[in-house]
Amino acid sequence: MPSPRRLGRRAVLYLLVALAMVWTLFPIYWMVTTSLKLPIEYASPEPSWAPTRITFEHYRSLWEHRFLRYFLNTVITAAAATVVSLLCGFLAAYALARFRFPAKLDNLFLLWVLLVKMIPPIVIAIPLYVTLRQLGIINSLLGLVVGYQVYTLPYCVWMLLGFVRDVPLEMEEAAAIDGASRWRTLWSIVLPLVGPGLAATAIFSVIMCWNEFTYALLFLRSPAVFTLPIHIASYITEYEVLWGELMGIGLLASLPILFLSGYVQKYLLRGFAMGFK
Amino acid sequence: MRLRRLLVGIFLVSTVATLGLGGPKLIIAGRDGVYGAAMQLAVDLYKAEHPDVDIELLKLPYSGLYEKLVIDFREAIGAYDVVLLDDVWATEFMSLGWLANLEALGFTAEADFVGKALAVGRYPYAQGALYAVPHVGNVELFAYRKDLFDKYGLPEPKSWLEVLGAAALIERYEPGIKGIVFRGKKGNPIVTGFLPIFWSFGAEILDVDGRPTLNSPQAVAALKFFLAMKAFAPTGVEIYDSSELRDALQGGTVAIATEVWPAWVPALDDPAKSKVVGQVEIIPHPGLVAESSPVIGIWLLAIPTASKNKATALDFLRFVSSPAVQKKLALEVGLPPTRVSVYQDPEVVAKYRWYPAQLAALDASRPRPRVPEWAQIEGVLGDYLQLALVGSMPPEEALAAAQARVEEILR
Amino acid sequence: MTRSSARRAPFHERYFHYLILIPALLIMIALTVYPVINVVQLSFYRYSYARGEKAFIGLENYYRLASDRFFLKGLSNTFQFTALATVAELALGLGLALLFNTKFRGRRWLLPLVIFPMMLSTMVVCAVWGAMYHYDYGIINHVLRAVGLSPVRWLFDPNLALQSLVLIDLWQWTPMVFLILLAGLQSIPAEIYEAGRVDGASGFRLFRHMTLPLIKRHFLLAVLLRIIDTFKIFDKVYALTGGGPGDATETISLYIYREGFRYFNLGRAAAAAVVMLIAVILISAVYVRQVIRGHA
Repeated sequence: MPSPRRLGRRAVLYLLVALAMVWTLFPIYWMVTTSLKLPIEYASPEPSWAPTRITFEHYRSLWEHRFLRYFLNTVITAAAATVVSLLCGFLAAYALARFRFPAKLDNLFLLWVLLVKMIPPIVIAIPLYVTLRQLGIINSLLGLVVGYQVYTLPYCVWMLLGFVRDVPLEMEEAAAIDGASRWRTLWSIVLPLVGPGLAATAIFSVIMCWNEFTYALLFLRSPAVFTLPIHIASYITEYEVLWGELMGIGLLASLPILFLSGYVQKYLLRGFAMGFK
Repeated sequence: MRLRRLLVGIFLVSTVATLGLGGPKLIIAGRDGVYGAAMQLAVDLYKAEHPDVDIELLKLPYSGLYEKLVIDFREAIGAYDVVLLDDVWATEFMSLGWLANLEALGFTAEADFVGKALAVGRYPYAQGALYAVPHVGNVELFAYRKDLFDKYGLPEPKSWLEVLGAAALIERYEPGIKGIVFRGKKGNPIVTGFLPIFWSFGAEILDVDGRPTLNSPQAVAALKFFLAMKAFAPTGVEIYDSSELRDALQGGTVAIATEVWPAWVPALDDPAKSKVVGQVEIIPHPGLVAESSPVIGIWLLAIPTASKNKATALDFLRFVSSPAVQKKLALEVGLPPTRVSVYQDPEVVAKYRWYPAQLAALDASRPRPRVPEWAQIEGVLGDYLQLALVGSMPPEEALAAAQARVEEILR
Repeated sequence: MTRSSARRAPFHERYFHYLILIPALLIMIALTVYPVINVVQLSFYRYSYARGEKAFIGLENYYRLASDRFFLKGLSNTFQFTALATVAELALGLGLALLFNTKFRGRRWLLPLVIFPMMLSTMVVCAVWGAMYHYDYGIINHVLRAVGLSPVRWLFDPNLALQSLVLIDLWQWTPMVFLILLAGLQSIPAEIYEAGRVDGASGFRLFRHMTLPLIKRHFLLAVLLRIIDTFKIFDKVYALTGGGPGDATETISLYIYREGFRYFNLGRAAAAAVVMLIAVILISAVYVRQVIRGHA
């Protein structure tokens, strides 16, 4: 039989957990229910806590407005930008973790990467725009993939640096003694060992691209290449905000990320524990 | 190993997919809201007649549209084939050669178009070649609750001072009703909402030599009057845009709307959406020092110089601006036409009783300054007007600061 | 990996570490070095993008910024937002992490729910908060009215709008701080606590003198990440207030956006960007010093 003091402490604990969950989940609950309400209900001065009549009208409308295409655009952009950053970032992280460069060039590079990570994207938006235009890839997903490297590459380098440093040196030395080339060592010994780290890094990189708004807003012109955040913003119009559709698309747009992060949840915490050493 | 192959696979697939997207089609850059709904209807009608043409319609907010157009034109990307533009941007776009000369393409504007509306599509103003066809015949009007004015024995307001008096009176004695509503939102809305008062007080944005005169005594008096109106406006008027204004007017919670554009209120007499059917009178706004001269605000349709489908675009333009389609857009969506014949069509007048007044207002209207820098002037003026409106800056100071900034822009 | 073997190895083996650094290096140069140089250069010009007119005007853009009310307000708002949001997120994040570091039923499946907000697109977050903040039919004001309080002008009270945006950021990004700190807490071996308890330390003393020092690094990391992120504040302002009412939620990012992409005044936008860049460098100087020391 637990003591009353212990019971009281348990009660406080569960109360706090409940409070935390209400704070976190209420907006999400509001989003879900609004997406199922008819306009007359969500725009009434007396808001209702739950939809009195459930409608899937908003979801049908989303489908008709080519949700799938914007979705695919976003998937392609986020995946491609992440893959490029992951590859380049992994190689760079390995070089920086394992070798001393002359004249502290490695430190310099790291500093630079850190600085870029801190630069607000809008600061270099103008010249970046000009660069992409000169390359002829403005207004295309490819251009966006290139532009997103500003966000994802510094991030991947930093994250992966921590993971690579944690790989025991002995295994590589053993491979070198066996006569494996450096490339081979890197590819078949180090890469599999940082697998979880890669996964965690990839998730955050994908999230970053998935929700990116500034560059997508500035660089994309034709609806054929719009990504989800841009499409979502189009539901907020001057004449009315289409709350139902807006909440519906917000929900749909975040589901993939939610599944992804649930799937790799075990890496997520470890990623934070390790990646930021 | 599987991870590696997967990564490479994703990369290849995504690269290929990135490069391969997007086929040729007619792309229209337009507005959201009622303009978007009207254009959608026009597109559907056109598609029914030309099933082979693939049309994509982009519905953008006001400033988003401007920004996208400027970049597309400047870079000659040619992403859009038909564009909708506010007449205040037209001078900039036309002077920089961004819009195709429609007459050279083979378009002739009949005399049926309202003269003042056609004038803003020409460069130089009213005289030169036609670069844009008037699509929406908007003109800034004034609305008041006839029933409430009658109840208190108030006449139709002829001067702004009467407006303020009426607002005070009605607000005092009518529970749940606010005196005045206008657009207070930063940027284009507050500037357009303020302009009729500004002009009525005898103030001008630019003098005859094109120099800014934003801090003239008349301008300061006008702004002080504008701020006095706020006392009778609903809470949150500083973020009111057209939808809030329309809801307040149609919801029966205000007595006066100092600014109404016909395109906003097609449902004013629709019992399903309006609580004030038949009770609102729409008239040209009052004057004061200067005679009332309504602000004209035409949405124009044009073809960018960089468009790659000019022939199809022109055909679409002809179609949309034809009397039959204009009539349909007016009847079904409430889009104000730009043709005299549509304004006089009995069926249309039966639905919108204020159309004759609107046509008269169009004929008496004046345009905003025809300078290429207008978008920026408007932005700056809007910023400072709102500072004054929320009380962060005294009116004199706000106008002086706007004046300094506009001088810098026009330098 | 001895020097003697490296000398005999072929070129790509000898310079392996240089070679594998090249892809990242090239991307970084193309996407950051050139743009930064370009921005600095542009800031000395009067450049009207639409008309394509460019004229060298020296420091004039900077002079004008120094007297531009909107820029100055943007600067102070950005710092204010950063400070408020970072402090609030760390406090709440630490609380949540301590809570989830204890054992309770349902913890396993509540954890992914707690981090849900950070997975949402900012546009969506803005939309749902915009709906809840709505003066007339938002749920928050509805509740306030129901309990007899007067409704709050969340997004258009000049003295409250910025704080309302902070609240949204708090909701969206506390999970990030929470994750980092939880990772830190879980890396503390249980024996340390037991030793502390044997010494008779009370709960708070234990936390203050044992837990906090042990997660100091995670804590600093969370501070840094949140400062970096909040300092960029753009999309929330863009979507919800446009910098208004008046200049109450003006931020530097928004200022740069408006000057650069709405007025197409590229020189002035560039000057504002340079000021922001310098601010970022100053902020991160402390951290960077630590990095150099730790790495060299």
